[in-house]
Amino acid sequence: MLRFEKRDKTPVRLRVLVPICSVLLGLFVGSVVMLFARVNPLRVYEAVVKGAFGSAYTFSETLVIAVPLILISAGLCLVYRMKFFNIGAKGQYIMGAICGSYLALFGPATMPRPLLLTLMMVLGTVGGALWAIIPALLKAYWNVNEVIATLLLNYIASYILWYLMYGTWRDQRSHGFPLSKSFALNAQLPRILPAPSRLHIGLFFGLAAAGIVWIIIRKTRFGYEGRVLGENERAARYAGINVFKTIIIAAAISGGLAGLAGIAHTSAVLRILQLEINSDYGYTAIIAAWLAGLDPLVAVGVSVLLAALEAGGYQIQIVMRVPFGIVGVIESAILFCLLAGEIVTHYRISLTRRLTA
Amino acid sequence: MNPTFGSILIKVFAGAVESGTILLLPTLGEVLTERSGVLNLGLEGLMLIGAFFGFLGAMKTGNPYVGLLLGMAAAAAAAAIHAFICVTLRGNQTVTGLALSIFGAGLTSFYGDSWVSQRLTTAIKPMAVPVLSRIPILGPIFFSQDLIVYAAYVLVAVFWFLLFKTKIGVNLRAVGENAKAADAMGVNVVGTRYFWTILGGALAGAGGAYITCCIHPYWLNGITSGKGWIAVALVVFAMWNPFNALVGGFLFGSIEALQLQLQAAGTYINSALLSMLPYITTFVVIIVATVIVRVRHVGTPKELGIPYAREEK
Amino acid sequence: MEGQEQLMLVMNNITKRFPGIVANNHVNFALRKGEIHALLGENGAGKSTLMNVLDGIYYPDEGEIVIEGNRVDLRSPLDSMKHGIGMIHQHFMLVDSLSVIENVILGLESQGFYIDKKSVAGRIKAIATKYNFRVDPYAKIWQLSVGEQQRVEIIKTLFKGARILILDEPTSVLTPQESEELFGILREMKSEGKSIIFISHKLGEVMSVSDRVTVLRKGRLMGTVDTASITERELAKMMIGRDVLFRLERGDIEQGREILRVEEAQTYNDRGIMALDKLSIVVHGGEIMGVAGVAGNGQVELAECITGLRHLVGGHITVEGIDVTNATPCTLVSVGVNYIPADRLGVGLVPNLSTVENAMLRKYKQKPMRRGTFIDYGAACAYADGLIEKFDIAVPLKNAPVKVLSGGNMQKLLLAREIDENPRLLIAEHPTRGLDVGATEFVRKTLLEQRDHGVAVLLISEDLDEILMVADRIAVMYEGRIVGIVDAHHADIAQIGLMMAGAVGAKT
Repeated sequence: MLRFEKRDKTPVRLRVLVPICSVLLGLFVGSVVMLFARVNPLRVYEAVVKGAFGSAYTFSETLVIAVPLILISAGLCLVYRMKFFNIGAKGQYIMGAICGSYLALFGPATMPRPLLLTLMMVLGTVGGALWAIIPALLKAYWNVNEVIATLLLNYIASYILWYLMYGTWRDQRSHGFPLSKSFALNAQLPRILPAPSRLHIGLFFGLAAAGIVWIIIRKTRFGYEGRVLGENERAARYAGINVFKTIIIAAAISGGLAGLAGIAHTSAVLRILQLEINSDYGYTAIIAAWLAGLDPLVAVGVSVLLAALEAGGYQIQIVMRVPFGIVGVIESAILFCLLAGEIVTHYRISLTRRLTA
Repeated sequence: MNPTFGSILIKVFAGAVESGTILLLPTLGEVLTERSGVLNLGLEGLMLIGAFFGFLGAMKTGNPYVGLLLGMAAAAAAAAIHAFICVTLRGNQTVTGLALSIFGAGLTSFYGDSWVSQRLTTAIKPMAVPVLSRIPILGPIFFSQDLIVYAAYVLVAVFWFLLFKTKIGVNLRAVGENAKAADAMGVNVVGTRYFWTILGGALAGAGGAYITCCIHPYWLNGITSGKGWIAVALVVFAMWNPFNALVGGFLFGSIEALQLQLQAAGTYINSALLSMLPYITTFVVIIVATVIVRVRHVGTPKELGIPYAREEK
Repeated sequence: MEGQEQLMLVMNNITKRFPGIVANNHVNFALRKGEIHALLGENGAGKSTLMNVLDGIYYPDEGEIVIEGNRVDLRSPLDSMKHGIGMIHQHFMLVDSLSVIENVILGLESQGFYIDKKSVAGRIKAIATKYNFRVDPYAKIWQLSVGEQQRVEIIKTLFKGARILILDEPTSVLTPQESEELFGILREMKSEGKSIIFISHKLGEVMSVSDRVTVLRKGRLMGTVDTASITERELAKMMIGRDVLFRLERGDIEQGREILRVEEAQTYNDRGIMALDKLSIVVHGGEIMGVAGVAGNGQVELAECITGLRHLVGGHITVEGIDVTNATPCTLVSVGVNYIPADRLGVGLVPNLSTVENAMLRKYKQKPMRRGTFIDYGAACAYADGLIEKFDIAVPLKNAPVKVLSGGNMQKLLLAREIDENPRLLIAEHPTRGLDVGATEFVRKTLLEQRDHGVAVLLISEDLDEILMVADRIAVMYEGRIVGIVDAHHADIAQIGLMMAGAVGAKT
């Protein structure tokens, strides 16, 4: 029988060891899965690394995927610390893309590029923020479970996009396909490397966001209040912390960053609004934030690694005919191991025989 | 002969029953799982696992029913992982469920790749119920379906009875509402949660396998197209009651069937609004469910998502 | 000693130790068939421990239990159930959303697969009628009053064939009416041959309902007597009786002006029962007012009302003339009210945040720690250092989570932080609970220092010895009211005991 004894403090070595072991175990599980399909794991991992970092182009593609992950995971680190489990980043991403694209598609065509782009980014951020404020208000006032609320809003956002893309936002010239008109040059967020690289200035937004969120958490009153709130709501109230305001502002920041990721990616990489705008980054970012232990700076690194896995995954699919699904297997296996390992940091586990007098 | 409006409607509703059953099975399973206090967001992954391994089993053995059982077993095994991490190791149930969904999607996509072009020759065929299928309107809709649909009807009744009329049901509900009291009364909290999580997983697998062994007897990456997530929402819509799940499944299924008809007729726009409806309704329902819990003490199981730790004295 | 065959239950020489304390010290207890036997004692006397041994929750280190002449080994509540022991705890083990029937058969092995609701309902009604009370078996628990819920707990034990019933402070959650109804039920059960043990600290009940009383004090048996042959005063003396203890040295200062005035305060506790019943008390600057009383008589709610954590439904609270009834905790702190809560890791300190972050909890909105939206952690660190030095707190790593500190040091940190606010009124709730000798001494010394500086100190403690040692005046709380205030210098222990047990100044 397993016996759990609460620990007073977590030895530092465990804090580092558990994530590392999780990664290794995850890779191991992935290997086992591959072996069953008679695929050589070592060759696959080698190809993944090459596919992610092998050349300047592949590296920049990795970073292209990393950008939305960095942006979104930074926001998630903030809200998860307050125990507000926002899993609606996908919906917030979509709403951000929709709101920002509105200006791109229907705004004045002659607006100067910097102004247009700034407005687009702002609109996208606001759109995502609002989409997150709704469940935050419900949680703050009525204690509605935010997991289910944000999940439902993901669907609603997807269907709003669908509605627009098959409706009035569809380009006449797209032969019935659900595509908007291509973004004009002044609506395209600039890329920072020459073609064929698609890396864009969203990268700087992401790094800035990670840094700002880190500062918020560590150095500001708001971050301090949020941490107290996440640990113990009663103590927070007694200390005079405004619980409502704190949750709503944090949710707005998280949603805003997701929305920004949505419009930035759409504007810089896709340059068109369509049904598939890579909104599932909203889910991958959750993994990134959790693996990073809710530290936004660590999340930058983790985001790059997860992006590498995905970028490499695309490559191995094309070159080695290894299905992309293996990426999901590895990511989730790492996460499982991390979740399982977390208990070790809080409790000391021992095996005992049934308690006798 | 031109199809009459009536016959189209019957076709739509019959299709609704089919789609509804795909949703109903995982929903029933999750109702029971959540009633025991465990939140399993990994239904999409479990349905995919059930779909793929069900398909595999059916292809290899030539018997679609064996395939179905295999699919259920595979999903149950995956659900056992979820149970282990959430119940024994007290991991965060939300994130674990998400990981499970991603795992199922990835695993089945990976293995399924080589099976994409194959088609199951012996799929489960409809079996009309002898007398009842002759009833006008109701007959073709409800009683000319396949065995799985009938099994689903039976399961709804069985689980409803189990939950509210048997000792097992009382123990289950107690574990989900007040684990400490249940423990003090001698109920095995951990065992109960493991059992219903794994059973819930098996049912989710059944929902997925139903697709590949019967309705669309071939494998496609992501063939469940989000139905597992819909099931999560449907549990809330059903307010954790099996009978409501049947109604909700049929409603959501009808909307999907209607959607298909509309798409065939070329009107996509209305389709989107229609598809949104179940989610908006569920959204309203969870707000209502949370608020009325204070008044009527029914709704979200109080222990949902909270790991149980018997305190050391 | 009577023939053991005539006795329902005998507990011989029961000893149970926990780290640092002997909760039951060679206790002998005997229960006759068909009697109501009260178990009396103040906090920490060992009553609950002894009954938890009987209920199979604890296993004794020494001693034996004999039921109807047979030695038994009770290793779990199920074992106790099998031997006919049923315990009704202070906190009910009921599932609110299920019905009475469902709660009664919960976990029961003998019940088959299908619940024959009619037959179970019939049996429940039969039990109820037998003991003269009404119950609706189909009602859901949340629909029932507290008294009715308690009866469901009683039914649960009888349904399982209990012949020995243990009730732990049963009237703590009941109104006087409901208490009377309960006693009626107990008397019926007694006449049916059930044997009942009830734990209480209320002399009035003990005298009116019980046949015999066993008094425990600090883990030891003081004696077992026939209720009819003893007076309340004598019982109180047995319960509390102690020699006068030494008192801590203190300065002779004049009682200052009035700082805290509570007038006819009324509030409900979390279970919806009235916890403060028109309570009035006045505390002056430069004095320590000790609040004595058995736990559960409203002390927690009193502290919470004064510090803004609980809503008053009636009455007023003024601090230095300012009306602070139902003010927010923030306002109260700004008026000079500071709080050392009993649950130091609950409202007081945040376990996973560092020492520095906990130290600044009161001051972070002010300069120098506040710098616009930012926090100057340098200033916060310096502040924490100051506290650490002034109060000699052992903190190995300032930035490590505060839960790694020892209990004593955590309490010192809490004290330091609150006192640094220069309070006018300091509420200290069980401040030395769980602390070692050194830390305890330090805390008491600090309270005295505050008093010498003119602060009004309200000391709420379960430890009567501590109050006798430290306080200037002693107010005794019983059932939500102050039933008497005495001067600590000339305290009559027996009198205090009577007050604590509700025999003086309480409503009948």
